[in-house]
Amino acid sequence: MLDYMQFVLAPQMLNGFAFGIAIVLMALGLTIIFGLLDVINMSHGEFFAIGAYAGVVLLASGVNFWVAVALVPLLMLPVGVLTERLLVRQVFDSADRHTLTLLLTLGLSMIFYDGLKMVFGPNPLRPDNPIPGGIEVAGVFLPAYRMFLIFLGAAIIAAVWAIIYKTSLGAMIRAAAFDRNMASSLGVPVSAVYSATFAFGTALAGLAGILLAPIFSVFPTMGHEFIVIAFTVVIVGGMGSIKGAVLAGLLLTQVQAIASLIISPVWTDPILFGIMVLVLMFRPQGLFGRLGHG
Amino acid sequence: MIRNSTLIAKLAVAATLLGTTAAVAQDIKVGALPPFTGPFASIGQVIKVALDMRAAEINAAGGIMGRKVVLVYEDGESNPATATQRAEKLFQVDKVDFLTGTVHSGLTLAVGQVAERNNRLLATTVSFSNAITGDRCSPNVFRVNPSAGMQASALALWAADFKKGAKVYYLGPDYEMGRSTIAEFKKEAEKLGATTAGEVYAPLGAKDYSQFFGQMRAARPDVLYMSTGGTDSVRLLSQLKEYGLTNMKLIGNSAAVTSDNLDAMGNAAEGFITSGNYSTLIDTPANKVFAEKFKAAAKIEANLYAADTYTVLDFYKAAVEKAGSVDADKVRAAMRGLAWDGVAGKKVMRAGDHQAIQDMYALELKGKTYHPLAKVDGEKAAGPDLCTKW
Repeated sequence: MLDYMQFVLAPQMLNGFAFGIAIVLMALGLTIIFGLLDVINMSHGEFFAIGAYAGVVLLASGVNFWVAVALVPLLMLPVGVLTERLLVRQVFDSADRHTLTLLLTLGLSMIFYDGLKMVFGPNPLRPDNPIPGGIEVAGVFLPAYRMFLIFLGAAIIAAVWAIIYKTSLGAMIRAAAFDRNMASSLGVPVSAVYSATFAFGTALAGLAGILLAPIFSVFPTMGHEFIVIAFTVVIVGGMGSIKGAVLAGLLLTQVQAIASLIISPVWTDPILFGIMVLVLMFRPQGLFGRLGHG
Repeated sequence: MIRNSTLIAKLAVAATLLGTTAAVAQDIKVGALPPFTGPFASIGQVIKVALDMRAAEINAAGGIMGRKVVLVYEDGESNPATATQRAEKLFQVDKVDFLTGTVHSGLTLAVGQVAERNNRLLATTVSFSNAITGDRCSPNVFRVNPSAGMQASALALWAADFKKGAKVYYLGPDYEMGRSTIAEFKKEAEKLGATTAGEVYAPLGAKDYSQFFGQMRAARPDVLYMSTGGTDSVRLLSQLKEYGLTNMKLIGNSAAVTSDNLDAMGNAAEGFITSGNYSTLIDTPANKVFAEKFKAAAKIEANLYAADTYTVLDFYKAAVEKAGSVDADKVRAAMRGLAWDGVAGKKVMRAGDHQAIQDMYALELKGKTYHPLAKVDGEKAAGPDLCTKW
């Protein structure tokens, strides 16, 4: 029993935690964009992939991994601004905003996906693990890079929270999310805030892309695989809620990690989606409310 | 007057010639359903390069019975439901004479039924599952590549030499191919004295294998047998290395580590042992030319998929020429028992189950190349014919 706890359960929960942090990084951008712009961004997964590929290109041209981690989110900012200005904004005021932006970003994701495949080919790529090795605590092996990922991820989540809730930019974002017209008449530059927020969400996806690249490898469909879980997290946590994304992300990945010890791992995804269906049926607003609402 | 009649005669001859060339010039259409998206997309790309290359060569040398080979591609993904619809489209709209390029075993089985309904022939060059030429064999489906069973028996012979009574841990994707390759290897290895330390099936396209490492570490195996492929192998092997699980010998089916996913693994796959019918080092004149030409076209080393897919067009060509027709019933009869030269050796299509019999090798990965260790006779590796449908 003790053996089981030490060798199986503890590492399992720890791995689930590292994976959970990774998913939360993906879900944060998604939930912020939804909370403010009311746009379901289907191309978020491809932004994640573009971030990873941008990282691969930087590394291949001799840039140090840590410098690349800092550069990738900056490179993603113009991608986000352009997407918001040139595409999302064109249909934003339409009565069918939800449908149109969903279709628009879905189309964009297909173009990005095929573009990545044309430029980089279908074969997987993988940057070297920047911190190989690990430490052993009480017989449990902790890979150094994953530990680093947990700490950095927690710091990023805290920073995002601080930006949204503690800065004047955050106050503007929340105000614009609560009532766009009122915020605008009080002098909040709503149009610029929209672009900035979309770019911020995009940068977060790109950052997640390069940080996860050494563990999960880089290939054109990588975005698809993560986006489905990230969407589940956002729906369960509450569309637009930061706290919800963090808690649901960590909770659902723990459910997955522990369930895969008891039942066939193939069933962990259906369990996740089952939880999502139940949440949609009995608590459609999710565990927590939207950004700017309470 | 005499001049005129010769002119008319000449015109008549010309007209007949034109008429016959028009009939002869009708193209032979070969459909292909490789995965261009999903976890096996990199294999799909290899298939496309190999088919395009061989079709161009055959056409340059006069085609099949003077008719040009035209390839029609559809994305088979790794989804039997989508692939059957696209196979239906290839047969009924594009009217392909022959279909190939399927990868996912479940998909090959499903598309085989579509071929049966349309009375057209399918040959897979990649799918491993024994069922395809075993208990779910079809008179319309042929397999050019070695089955899971053939690979398993060759690899089990190696494992028996590696360590007596070795403790083996099994990890594979949870579907037809993953389960059947593991079941086959396990059966063969246990016959030769190996024991099972544990067994786990992960979803196809699993993101994180570290969740299985605890159980694996606790079981303390000598050997890890993996039946993952494509991106899954990249993640598995690099995560094993990340977690310091490097004290067991890595072995697996021949799809696990191939030139299309090797580059992404760094040196995590060094020393990996598999079995198969192909290595760029197998010394035949055809292989030398092929390996170089393929590498130039695809920018990666030729692998088993490339070699078997390249040779499927030779198999079809030889059968059509023997049958003198593209009619499915006549070509099927010609394919049964047909012997032809593959890239790395002779292949014989066994009439009883439509499985190509060929010599197998235990192969060890050193750097980026598989080195043949030992050769296993094809008949011996294939075992008895278990198909009872005809």
